[in-house]
Amino acid sequence: MGPEKTTGRQYWNPLIETLPRERLQELQLRKFRRIFEWAYRNSKFHGGLYQNAGIAPEDIKTFEDIRNVPKVEKAMIQENQGKEPYPYGDVLCVPLSEVTEYHQTSGTTSTAVYQADTWQDWEWWSECWSYILYAHGYRDTDRVFIPFGYNVFVAFWAGHYAAEKLGCEVIPGGVLNTEARILKMQELKATAMMATPTYVLGMADVAKRKLSLNPAEDLHIQKITCAGEPGASIPSTKRRIEKAWGAKVYDHVGATEVGAWAYECQAQRGLHINEAFFLVEIEDPETGEIIEEPDKTGKLVITAFDRIAQPCIRFDTKDVTAWRGETCECGRTFRKCRGIAGRTDDITKVKGVLLAPSAIEEVVRAFPELGDEFEVAVTKKGDLDEITLRVELTPGSEGEKDSVRRKLIDQLRLKTNLGYNLEFHLYGSLPRHEVKAKRFKDLRKEK
Amino acid sequence: MDIEGLLEMDKRIQSIKKSIIELQDLGQEVEAVTRNAERILASIRMLELNISDLIPVLERFD
Repeated sequence: MGPEKTTGRQYWNPLIETLPRERLQELQLRKFRRIFEWAYRNSKFHGGLYQNAGIAPEDIKTFEDIRNVPKVEKAMIQENQGKEPYPYGDVLCVPLSEVTEYHQTSGTTSTAVYQADTWQDWEWWSECWSYILYAHGYRDTDRVFIPFGYNVFVAFWAGHYAAEKLGCEVIPGGVLNTEARILKMQELKATAMMATPTYVLGMADVAKRKLSLNPAEDLHIQKITCAGEPGASIPSTKRRIEKAWGAKVYDHVGATEVGAWAYECQAQRGLHINEAFFLVEIEDPETGEIIEEPDKTGKLVITAFDRIAQPCIRFDTKDVTAWRGETCECGRTFRKCRGIAGRTDDITKVKGVLLAPSAIEEVVRAFPELGDEFEVAVTKKGDLDEITLRVELTPGSEGEKDSVRRKLIDQLRLKTNLGYNLEFHLYGSLPRHEVKAKRFKDLRKEK
Repeated sequence: MDIEGLLEMDKRIQSIKKSIIELQDLGQEVEAVTRNAERILASIRMLELNISDLIPVLERFD
């Protein structure tokens, strides 16, 4: 008997995804103890860290005990890199001969982090992604295009293998340029794709400007999985992508050091945490207290239960989000959080007010008269902070400049409590980004 | 699915795992056997994460 057609089923694993909360928590506790003991016994780094803190595997009996386990920061992993076993150092829990995969972080904020995975870990990556893609509606009838430069960044590698596992037909968009990728998607009638929100919007722009194609009408994409940036959880950006492509857009959050830990479902209201594979804690960045109530913003601390080569235990991601309170109509019992608001490093005080770059994106992307690209620069004039927002008017909207200026300043004031200098630039003149965009520049410290 | 169904699936998973480990032992000198068996074991591990890990939890609440 061949693989059964799975269209009509809702969950990748209903046993886990609809497990009652108290059982889910029991599973999490057991799995935390297992990975903790594994790391304690097999990694000099973890063993030393926990011995210094006076915590042994037998001490982990409750979630309260987990809170006493020291967090791991990126800098601690970086300090170990370059030492034996080369290049990972003593964070490694397996002999080098068992490492089959190398990936690294992009290193946008500091030195890149090297990440080792065994073959089992690699299977685990694609298993985590299988939960994601199944929730996004991928099935064995889909033809999935992946416009990703397959390289040292983990990005959509595991999405590729998960799509295969689901029975999809996968088209690797590798070294093709943007125009060639669009034409290949059109030629093969691809039904789904995975990319960063920035690149998905960029592709739609190139399709219109350079190929005279309207992706919503001339291509066949029905669903898009976004990752790498928070855009797909920002309502105005999601709407913009969905309109440009005539497709449903789903967010997914993951990280090289952590794994693929959260995903939207068909309800598109918040990100489900894959709680059978990850423990997610949200912590008050000031006090370190664990936040349980909905809507209170905090910093994410994540444990991956089943990653063995280079375990991720209470990793301080520095990403900022909040719990969502409601249960989900999809029937999953996995808890939900909001989209990532940014990193604690990016959320900065301007004129004494906390500013998250994602809030500016939410406002700008809600204006149909404005292009997809924008830039924000924070500078210092004397003792005062100034924010300059650079935007582009779309072709044909030039006559709307004064009205857009007025409305944009009002909306930004409402959303962020801050005033802005607005600069209008020629359409197409602001930098275009291929993968992740760096649109927020804090230039106050550069002088 | 009830606990009996899960136990039955776990029984099969453990049986396949045991067979593959035995195969690895038998084929120690044949790289094509040991490496392919290693890959199968990684897939079996995913079955354990999806099925076998649930059993002690469900037994506790039963």
